[in-house]
Amino acid sequence: MKRLAAFLALGLLAARPLAAEIPDRPEKLKFEKLVYNPPRPADHRVQLKSGPIAYIVPDRTLPLVSVTVLVRAGAWLDPKGHEGIADFAGYLLVRGGIKSKSADELDERLAFLAAGLTSAVGEESGSVALNLLSKDLPEGLALLREALTEPRFQQDKLDLYRQQALQALQQRNDDSSSIHAREVESLAYGTNFWAARQLTGASIDSITVDDLRAFHKKWFHPANFTVAVSGDVDRDAMVARLEDLFANWPFAGEKPGPIPTDTQMAQPGVYIVNKDVNQGRVSLLLPGIKRDDPDYLAARVMNDVLGGGGFTSRIMNRVRSDEGLAYGASSGFGGGTTFARPFSAGFETKSRTVAYASRIVLDEIQRITGAAVTDEELNTTKRSFVDTFPENFSTKGRVAGLFANDEFTGRFAKDPEFWQKYRDRVEAIDKAEVQRVAKKYLHPDKAVIVVVGQRDEILKGHPDHPVKLEELVDGKVAELPMRDPVTLEPLPDAPPKP
Amino acid sequence: MKRFLLAVAAASSLGLPAFAQQIPVVEKQLPNGFKLLLVERHEEPRIAGGWVAHVGSANERPGITGIAHLFEHMMFKGTPTLGTKDAKRDLELIAQQEVVRDKMRAEESLMRAALRRGDVDDITKPEARTERYKTLEIEFKKLVDEQRSLLVKNEFDRIYTTAGASKMNAFTTEDMTGYFIEVPSNKLELWCWMESERLFHPVFREFYAERDVVFEERRMRTEVPPTGRAEEQFNAMFWDAHPYHWPVIGWPSDIPAITKKQADEFYALFYQPQNITLILVGDFKAADAEDLATRYFGRIPQGEQPAPEVGTLEIASSGEKRYNAEAETNPQLEVLWHTVAAGHRDSYALEVLDQLLNGRTGRLYKGLVLGRQIATDAGAGLQNRKWAGLFAVSAEAKEGKSLDEVEAALYAELDRITKEPIPPEELQKVKNQFAAAEYRRLTSTFGILYRLIHAEGVGGWREINEAGPKIQAVTVEDVQRVAAKYLVKENRAVARFTRKPGTGSTTDDSELAGLSAEQKPIARNISTSVKQEKDPKQLKELLARVEAQAAQGDPKRQQFAKFIRGAVQRRLAELEPKK
Repeated sequence: MKRLAAFLALGLLAARPLAAEIPDRPEKLKFEKLVYNPPRPADHRVQLKSGPIAYIVPDRTLPLVSVTVLVRAGAWLDPKGHEGIADFAGYLLVRGGIKSKSADELDERLAFLAAGLTSAVGEESGSVALNLLSKDLPEGLALLREALTEPRFQQDKLDLYRQQALQALQQRNDDSSSIHAREVESLAYGTNFWAARQLTGASIDSITVDDLRAFHKKWFHPANFTVAVSGDVDRDAMVARLEDLFANWPFAGEKPGPIPTDTQMAQPGVYIVNKDVNQGRVSLLLPGIKRDDPDYLAARVMNDVLGGGGFTSRIMNRVRSDEGLAYGASSGFGGGTTFARPFSAGFETKSRTVAYASRIVLDEIQRITGAAVTDEELNTTKRSFVDTFPENFSTKGRVAGLFANDEFTGRFAKDPEFWQKYRDRVEAIDKAEVQRVAKKYLHPDKAVIVVVGQRDEILKGHPDHPVKLEELVDGKVAELPMRDPVTLEPLPDAPPKP
Repeated sequence: MKRFLLAVAAASSLGLPAFAQQIPVVEKQLPNGFKLLLVERHEEPRIAGGWVAHVGSANERPGITGIAHLFEHMMFKGTPTLGTKDAKRDLELIAQQEVVRDKMRAEESLMRAALRRGDVDDITKPEARTERYKTLEIEFKKLVDEQRSLLVKNEFDRIYTTAGASKMNAFTTEDMTGYFIEVPSNKLELWCWMESERLFHPVFREFYAERDVVFEERRMRTEVPPTGRAEEQFNAMFWDAHPYHWPVIGWPSDIPAITKKQADEFYALFYQPQNITLILVGDFKAADAEDLATRYFGRIPQGEQPAPEVGTLEIASSGEKRYNAEAETNPQLEVLWHTVAAGHRDSYALEVLDQLLNGRTGRLYKGLVLGRQIATDAGAGLQNRKWAGLFAVSAEAKEGKSLDEVEAALYAELDRITKEPIPPEELQKVKNQFAAAEYRRLTSTFGILYRLIHAEGVGGWREINEAGPKIQAVTVEDVQRVAAKYLVKENRAVARFTRKPGTGSTTDDSELAGLSAEQKPIARNISTSVKQEKDPKQLKELLARVEAQAAQGDPKRQQFAKFIRGAVQRRLAELEPKK
């Protein structure tokens, strides 16, 4: 036994190099190569006889199942003046009760089963999601079928949700971030674009149970569904369950037309809303591109160097680390699946340094168009994009969701090898390509700058940094009125223009 | 693949087994004091790594509030070899900067004296600076500029990012400071190198710029959000003696006064190996991870003294506290009671009570929102912190309903808990939710890391496996006992938030509440045009028309007229001010 112990001790010593061998720089460490092959959509894709495409990704490690039905419906379908129908129908599909159970009975049953059954309709898509213990799957699917086919839309639940929504509207001017988000949408898309239209007290008041029923009957149909399933299921058994879920639909439904894309960005300039908070909230907007644009990946790489990459990005380094002007400072190249979302750079800083920090961001935008990024910067971004790639597939739920979403948005049809080719496409982007897209899309003289904060303090600027808000874009500072949070009408006593 | 133990504790009569789902943690102790927790998971080629320093704002003292959090920021600034091209000159410049800063601090003292005399009203304004202070600022900036020319900006971050890491961040609470990241599974040694390196010899460069960043963070989190300052004040009112009294982010006058020397002392006291737990979750072999961690973290010398604990106990309250705040918010109410520390024997029954009250089928939503219809939302919250705990309930009043009604209803619901039997199905529902949550928490590698950091930070990681069975064992009598014991009047603080006059919609929706669905949009539109009308005569004519209609006797029209009357009178008062 003694000899064995001595042998083991030696073995341990051999496996543990001495502390002195710890290198002084991390570059000196050697790493094994990591080969990673992403899952393939085709391995999980099922064309159901009942209509929808489903992605089924089994995961038998835990007794949980998740089923999500994506629905082709969204806020773009709301008629003007009736904004909120899509949102209300989405929420109340489940929360308004179903054929066999009142809303309260359904909630009690779900709570007892520790199951989640939720529904929502957002801007460009809707979803109905079930998450439960696998032993309860048959009952959960029966409830899901009822929600999809025979929602009650109880009047009392509509009234309650309306009251909650109205009180949420009351708060729309309370936090400067919500004023800012609203004005950004108006300026980025134009007030006539559907995605910039806002709920008002009148539009919410106008919604009736009949509106919700009509919305449901039109759009909640298997022809408009895409399905994601993950968790403790057998694939073949699940296919059979899904066929039952969608078979013999009791009504016909319609297919929605294309989502309108007619956005109109505001004229370049600085737009300010006066609000008495000691920190200005700022966004710099420029026209963006869609996610399926051939330039999109290069634009994302470029943006990562500029402001998308957190602490390795230029905007963060200058505005936060160098100058201590903001907690967060970043930029994003929006993409957008059906219409182009804007490029946007933003930060929050004390009133007196709003102009100075804006100047820094504009300078950084100018700089990336004028000179190539460094090898190190490009390498950091590429390695980050390529080596964090497995995170996209970190859980079976994410895999199912990702593939279903690609199916739903048309990316799978258009670019079926998107994920297989993703890393090679990133590797192929060079410095010239990065500068080309920067030059093509970033024009700081065209910026629309949106500021919410103490107007007078912001206009004063800072004695150590002689830059004025008026000098940022074209000499223009336009004051936007504060709006009534419920009606969104300009408030009559808007302060005079600066 | 079924790597997790499934222990069926007891089968309930209601169908769902009360299961206890264990997280298989391997615990190791390094010779110099570090605790090491390892959880293997091989679903994806990633490793979530983190560590928790057992220090939070509760370990601070007046004058340096916010230092635990500021320190968390400084831990990303690098080491002698990471972050600068010239380590020697970098350290010289930091020392020179401190000399200038000492002189600036002398000026700051004078500026504070001027504030006390009333010579200036706000020393944070650039105009309040003394002439000498401005000169020193220029001198300081020169040193910063030279240092910046030698910096390798955010190199700590860049190395991780280039290595395929993600989610790098950290957080500070009253009880702990947690640091975390996710790396590819072949980069475990890099994690050991980077984390041991910054713990071994951090360099706090760019200290003063980062202090400004933290102040912007304070503005963003506390000063700009509509109820932020009031909530901060209410918290300070709730805790009398205990250091939970001050905010984690720090008092606004303390943050700009913290010195680098204080940060150095803080590091020496609280960032010793015996005060830190290292945690790894993901795709590695536990034996390899232990070897690497021993090799890298083992080189850091053990501290000479244990970090001091928080000994101050909250005093027993002898009376209810009430706080009234006007803020830009809908009318709402929050009630806090002092309860128990994490791991206390009563904490499990309080967890069950919290869950009984919470959610769409919880007692508060059903009682206040659905039943009495006096609130739009209501819920409960339990915080079992390391040194002491609190129980919260809150509700937003429905328009037209008073906070008095809401408060009375909240207490009525709590009374029902103690005075009426709790149906067994209701208790079982809550236990089912806890049991299912034991599975849901296992779906993400990063989620497990986060839970371990938090559990370790408030007392010990074993609680994540031991709490489940204890919660399942809670009885109706336990719930009633803890409710009766802790949720009593003299143990509570009540905050009432009412809307600050002149904010929110100028349409008074409490008056709209009496109108029908068809009348509301019309009323809103009229209200908007009334507000924009400049001619008093027009307004009076409108009022006359509406009054005439109302005179016909229809109660709905009278309600409508009442609303218009209010709107017109307010506008007339604006147009024709009395003197």
